[in-house]
Amino acid sequence: MNPGFVIPTGWSALLPELALTGLIGLILIGDVLLKEEAGKILSGIAVAGLAAVGFLVAAQWDQPARTVLAGMFRMDMLAVFFKGIFTIAALTTVLIARQTPALIRRGLGEFYLLILTATLGMFLTASAGNLLMLFVALEMITISFYVMVSYHQEERSLEAGLKYLVLGSIASGLFLYGLAFLFGTTGTADLTEMAAVIQGGLTESPMLVLGLFLVLSSILFKSACVPFQLWAPDVYQGAPTPAVAFLSVGSKAAGFVVALRLLIELLLPLGGVWIPVVVFLSGATILAGNLGAIPQSNIKRLFGYSTIGHGGYLLIGIAAGSFLGTQAILFYLAAYAFTNLAAFLVITAFSKTTGSDEIRDYAGLSRRSPFLAAMFFLALLSLAGVPPLAGFFGKFLLILSAVDAGHGVLAGIGAIAVVISLYYYLMIVKTMYADEPADPSPVPVPTTLRIMLWICAAGMLGLGLIQKPLVNWAAAAAQTLF
Amino acid sequence: MEIGLNHLLGVSALLLIIGLMGVICRRNIIMILLGLEIMLAAGNLAFVAFARANGNLAGQIMVFFVMIVAAAEVTVGLAIAVVLARKIRSVNADEMRQLKW
Repeated sequence: MNPGFVIPTGWSALLPELALTGLIGLILIGDVLLKEEAGKILSGIAVAGLAAVGFLVAAQWDQPARTVLAGMFRMDMLAVFFKGIFTIAALTTVLIARQTPALIRRGLGEFYLLILTATLGMFLTASAGNLLMLFVALEMITISFYVMVSYHQEERSLEAGLKYLVLGSIASGLFLYGLAFLFGTTGTADLTEMAAVIQGGLTESPMLVLGLFLVLSSILFKSACVPFQLWAPDVYQGAPTPAVAFLSVGSKAAGFVVALRLLIELLLPLGGVWIPVVVFLSGATILAGNLGAIPQSNIKRLFGYSTIGHGGYLLIGIAAGSFLGTQAILFYLAAYAFTNLAAFLVITAFSKTTGSDEIRDYAGLSRRSPFLAAMFFLALLSLAGVPPLAGFFGKFLLILSAVDAGHGVLAGIGAIAVVISLYYYLMIVKTMYADEPADPSPVPVPTTLRIMLWICAAGMLGLGLIQKPLVNWAAAAAQTLF
Repeated sequence: MEIGLNHLLGVSALLLIIGLMGVICRRNIIMILLGLEIMLAAGNLAFVAFARANGNLAGQIMVFFVMIVAAAEVTVGLAIAVVLARKIRSVNADEMRQLKW
């Protein structure tokens, strides 16, 4: 027998990505073949497939880090940690999409396909070991999101999609230009080799600094931070709810995995140049997000601003530039995933029955559906950072890392913004519990959403009360960078 | 005169600025998409220039992938522009004012 094609050893590192690619093919063909009932069957396939991908990711935990495909793909603990978050977000988004009537009318198969291609892009971003892989993977995420955001094909959704596309492409253009300068000054496109060159003493090159700031601006765009945050409220308001849920958790986490890979792993020797800038932008982002959220009347737009605020908190960890900061980012992202997904599950269940995203329509939700109101209350408290919920401990770790790195003012801003955010989050709670409902009919909650809400509530309370396991996991993942 | 790395980088910087100004100043959606393409072309030129200066082909390979990404991006952009043009009978970005803060 001629051993013509030999599967290279080490491809087991790619198992989750390969499974995800297979799942994408299955959904693509399934969507063409199944006409009627396609949505139900395909959502079953997507959920089962994503659960299988989740198991494959979990199986990679604690495996030794390795590099395959000539340095293109790195499997390490940090990547596995992020892939876990991405899988949870994608799985929840599929379930949310199934309960969004406007999407069902337009056909769900394609939407599942876009969720999965974006997820694959996120997986590859987390594992990218080369500038080429990093750029293509990031574009895979954003191009999928452009289509998802404009999926409704009504004026508002299209306008949001076009705004996101134009601003996102500017960010991609600057990112590419910055990568060219990183490539030019270090003479390599491989991130591991590049880190060695930069640690070897290449810190004074002005072209490297130019590349650094171009890359930084693109990261700030992806994670919706000042001064590139203006798209977030518009896109959040105009886009379909599942796209927003995925954007707020998945895309933000992807932005921060790039920040960790490039700024912390690669460019920390230049910390003296960028850390003061990030400290300033972090404080500005926290204030811009939390103050902008106060006058909002649309719940999705409010979350657009609140997500900017959370991006600012996550930047604190980057600005700390330390092991503690990285660990805090990882903990915060996991806690934020459960919390924000819980909030969007409630928004989906509510708008499915009432067709409204206006905050004033949430009046009297505690009487119309005590379960939804209680879950929303829990999620909002966790977002604000009230103990003993997961969001509190995440914020606590981040502020601790800022104090540890000597950014006292930033820590102060972070603490003050908690109070500001409590104001607008509790205004929603007041509307739900104290105001009289205009229409007292009950709001039913579909079973899948109810189960997911219980899981998210368990996550919020569990991570808040028993922080030890997740802190240890985050430490193990952060260890790969230091 | 020998054309060196600095000349090529100068042209690519010029392209980046032309593209960015096109995106910011033009109101026609098609022109905005063109500006985005020019920005990516600037990045491509810088990659090729650095690849030649460093004698490392990785930069040249990058360009092929960037071209594919750029094509995908503009395809989605044009698709959105076409659907939007059917709705509001215009390709002027100033006509879009549903979402405001």
